[in-house]
Amino acid sequence: ALKTKSTLALLALGLLFNFTSAAQDLPLANGQEYTIGEIEVTGNVSFNEQTIIAYTGLKKGEKIFIPGDRISKVLKKLWDVGSFSDVNIYVTNIDGNVADLELEIQEVPALANVRIQGIKKKKQEEFIKENKLNKGTKVTENLLTTTKNYIQNTFKEEGFLNTKVVMNTVPVEDTLNRNTVNLVVNVDKGERVKIEDIEISGNEAFSDARLKRAMKKTKEQKFLRFWKRSKFIPEEYEADKQKILSIYKERGYRDARIVSDSLIHVDENDVTLNINLEEGNRYYFGDIEFVGNSVYSDQELRRRLGISKGDVYNGVLLEKQIADNTKPDANDLTNLYQNNGYLFSNINPVEVRVYNDTIDFEIRIREGKVAYFDEITVIGNDKTKDHVIYREMRTKPGHKYSKEAVVRTVRELGQLGFFDAENLTPDFKEVDQNSGTVDLEYSVVEAGASQIELQGGYGGGGFVGTLGLSFNNFSLSGLFDKDAYKPLPMGDGQTLSLRAQASTYYQTYSLSFSEPWWGGKKPVRLSTSLQHTEQYFYDYRNREADKDRKFSISGITLGLARRLTVPDDFFVLSTAVAFQHYNLSNYNTGLFTFGDGYSNNFSLTLGLTRDNTFSNPIFPMGGSKFEIIAKLTPPYSLFNDIDYANLGDQKEYQLQNENGVLINRQGRPLRDGEDPVPDQGKIDQEKYKWLEFYKIKFNGTWYTNIYEKLVLRTHAEYGFLGAYNNDRGIPPFERFYLGGDGMGTYSMDGREAIALRGYPNQSLIPVDRGVMSSATDNDGATIYNKYSLELRYPITLKPTASIYGLTFLEAGASFDDFKDYNPFQINRSAGAGIRIFMPAFGLLGIDFGYGFDPLPGETQANGWETHFIIGQQF
Amino acid sequence: CGEYQKVLKSKDTGLKYSTAENLYNEAKAGEGNSRRKYRKALRLFEQLVPEFRGKPQGQKLTFMFADTYYELNDYFLAGYQFERFVESYPESEKLEEAAFKGAKSYYFLSPAYYLDQTETIKGISKMQEFINRFPESERMDEANKLATELRVKLERKTYEIAKQYHHTESYVAAITAFDNFISQYPGSPFREKALYYKFESAYLYAINSYAYAMPERLANAREYFEDYQRYYPEGEYIEMANTALKDIETKEQQL
Repeated sequence: ALKTKSTLALLALGLLFNFTSAAQDLPLANGQEYTIGEIEVTGNVSFNEQTIIAYTGLKKGEKIFIPGDRISKVLKKLWDVGSFSDVNIYVTNIDGNVADLELEIQEVPALANVRIQGIKKKKQEEFIKENKLNKGTKVTENLLTTTKNYIQNTFKEEGFLNTKVVMNTVPVEDTLNRNTVNLVVNVDKGERVKIEDIEISGNEAFSDARLKRAMKKTKEQKFLRFWKRSKFIPEEYEADKQKILSIYKERGYRDARIVSDSLIHVDENDVTLNINLEEGNRYYFGDIEFVGNSVYSDQELRRRLGISKGDVYNGVLLEKQIADNTKPDANDLTNLYQNNGYLFSNINPVEVRVYNDTIDFEIRIREGKVAYFDEITVIGNDKTKDHVIYREMRTKPGHKYSKEAVVRTVRELGQLGFFDAENLTPDFKEVDQNSGTVDLEYSVVEAGASQIELQGGYGGGGFVGTLGLSFNNFSLSGLFDKDAYKPLPMGDGQTLSLRAQASTYYQTYSLSFSEPWWGGKKPVRLSTSLQHTEQYFYDYRNREADKDRKFSISGITLGLARRLTVPDDFFVLSTAVAFQHYNLSNYNTGLFTFGDGYSNNFSLTLGLTRDNTFSNPIFPMGGSKFEIIAKLTPPYSLFNDIDYANLGDQKEYQLQNENGVLINRQGRPLRDGEDPVPDQGKIDQEKYKWLEFYKIKFNGTWYTNIYEKLVLRTHAEYGFLGAYNNDRGIPPFERFYLGGDGMGTYSMDGREAIALRGYPNQSLIPVDRGVMSSATDNDGATIYNKYSLELRYPITLKPTASIYGLTFLEAGASFDDFKDYNPFQINRSAGAGIRIFMPAFGLLGIDFGYGFDPLPGETQANGWETHFIIGQQF
Repeated sequence: CGEYQKVLKSKDTGLKYSTAENLYNEAKAGEGNSRRKYRKALRLFEQLVPEFRGKPQGQKLTFMFADTYYELNDYFLAGYQFERFVESYPESEKLEEAAFKGAKSYYFLSPAYYLDQTETIKGISKMQEFINRFPESERMDEANKLATELRVKLERKTYEIAKQYHHTESYVAAITAFDNFISQYPGSPFREKALYYKFESAYLYAINSYAYAMPERLANAREYFEDYQRYYPEGEYIEMANTALKDIETKEQQL
């Protein structure tokens, strides 16, 4: 190409125009029309020539004016990219009316390295990340300015008002001529600006101290204030001035205002604030009239409003009773309308008359049309299937709009545990006032819902291995679909857990599955589980397990639970049938007096639960949970005509030798006059062939939000195990063992471990079990009660890990008989701990508890105990 | 493998380029373990692409890079890289192929109907862009087929959600949802089912109502029956619909 820069240096930018004329080209000054010949790009380093030409839209053979509007627009377009520090267009050659063009560009340098000086490393990294100061980023003026402002503002928000930021760019010497620069940022944040004094004048109704207390973030410098440091942050100060005014407005001083306020620099880092107030008069509510209401009567509205004539005027309360923006489920006037379809309703209080110290109000209501939900959609569910989400929703197409339904849907979707509860948002779309419809889109973010437990270790003289898998959003239907394995079939909201534990002398396996919406029509939860445990006789002398002597338990459980609608839909009714078979072969346990034999446990469990805790299942902020459970076996002894009291009188339950001859304890045949001896093993085998008992339990838990995120958990529980037939007695199964972490340890007798921190595991045997009692420490109680108070405060509630700290007070006791029952004879404890919940591991925690009372048989307070908590909540 | 490792660590971009190109061509021709070759080529491409950005070889390199992702079934990155190629090299002779493979990548990314359909919607629009831009393409048939498949997937999603309202006995919701479906997707293969279940929802809603509300609701159901009958007089569900209609008539007489 010819390089005769005989150039018309056409246009240097900036002179140029906002020609609003349309796309076609217009000549400028004495512009002439040319046809474009060759187009050449010079000066480009990282950009492709073709890319630049394509971007300008200029094409060979196109007709343009030089100089002309088209050329100037091309220049502007290139400038707007922000990647060039200079752009010029030259005509390099003119042949007839064909003009060759040269686009000369100078690229903005790219960033090589960045160094931030004068602040901590963590902050440096944050600034680099927030401003995207990455290698290769184009260093434009805009980048430098926004970075500088960002840094200054960040420190300003922390009270460093005098922060200085200097940005330097240093070109990098580079043989490849790559046009890069290093960026050096010097930050001098200076001293934090503190408030030496706050002077308030003009206040009579409230003291200086009261008003200063109202300012939450703007505090005077004081020697003993560690917890809230004095710092001056302009935005916070503005907000705090409003807080002072709301103290007045809440107490009748409607006209209170800040007449003037000033900031005086005492020295570079200290300021004094002067606030001059005018209180005005104290007012009272006068008549309150409702205008425009047709759906609700004045009386209904007045009751909801809760303000009557003569009350001290309180603008803040009035606003709150009409529309409380801090609580989505507030009991205010707006929600009365919003929860019943009136999406477009609008409520406005207007002062209609002010006389003396009284204000009359008119509450003007525009009810608008009733709105109905139209399309309800979900986005973001890349694992959980639609039907699992839609079935939980309370917002349905064609149903009346209700804000409460939206709030509850969000809450309940969060409780499923499949989504990040803090990140669930409903978006109103296509809100159409004419047709009275609103579309709703729920945006969800999937969260990990599976847990894996893998353990190995030495215990009980051998290796113990545990493998546990729990899938909380499983899909059974996906099992046979090879495309569903990603890596496992998921998304039907089912739960599958598998657990296997094995050591040299025992093995236990369990499998459980549950489907929360059996049949998909109604929320009927179906759960099934299978377990099998085998325990071998362990010979401690030669340290071997004898596989011929064993005790095995096999069990199956089948349960159904359904959500009720009456009395309200927080109620769940559950039923379960369970069957367990115990088999002993030449194996003596503490449970049975016989070493060969069997026992069956067939039971029906009925439970009624009401749970309205919300909204994060890991950390409920409010609501309560009640549970009453009855576990019953059939009352066999009512029908089978066996006289359990006198079994020992019958020959077949008396000691005898192989030939059926009755014998005495020494094994010799009975002599004349000698009484036959009852065979306790045979009697018990008869008693426990089919276990017979009934068990009733009650649990109540309340969550109270005390302040910010501080939550009090109040809990009480009771349990009772009884026999239908006292001659047959209460079996040694299904009993309560109080104390410790309450985790279900390895046990074969269906025992229930009840947590009571501050004492060793299962150590609190019934208080009145005397020395003469035949019961041993190994026998559980048949009655217990437990109370607990726990204060919780979250450290973080992120979906990756939720962490909270807690302190607790607990008390409980267990008993053998109702006649011993004494609700005040309890073992008390107190302590503190921490819980960490990670989706992949479940709940982990550690508690330190101090037991104030002695253990049974001891005289001194039990003292400190440490409890590790895995996978279960107190 | 030692040879390859040396190339990988070498500073000679020319050598890397030729090695990567050979690996890519061999894999493309199906020689040996092609997945393995693509994977090896990919590691080299990853190093080369930033080096050659804006250089003459960049065009071919970008195409091979995108295509390697495509062949390795990494459709997310393939879609993105093909898209970049189409934007950067509008003059390329591979433009049509790249545009098609880019769109098809989104087709592969589209999940089952019961999950979030963002990728499906994107796939439809990319496929439509291809169809509009290359009307003469020999890939037109396939493009149309794939676009239709994606559209039917969206229709199925909407239909199944409406059907779930019917299944869970939320009849008002079902009627509204089927109604929206019918007006939104007039040519859908689920249209007959939608019309029938809209009628059935209205019918079940009516007969389970209090007496005072029943006449109006029965009349509605009858109207929906007529809609169904008009479009599908010989339809799959006509017998069931007729039985329900008879019941409506009996009920109307009793009232």
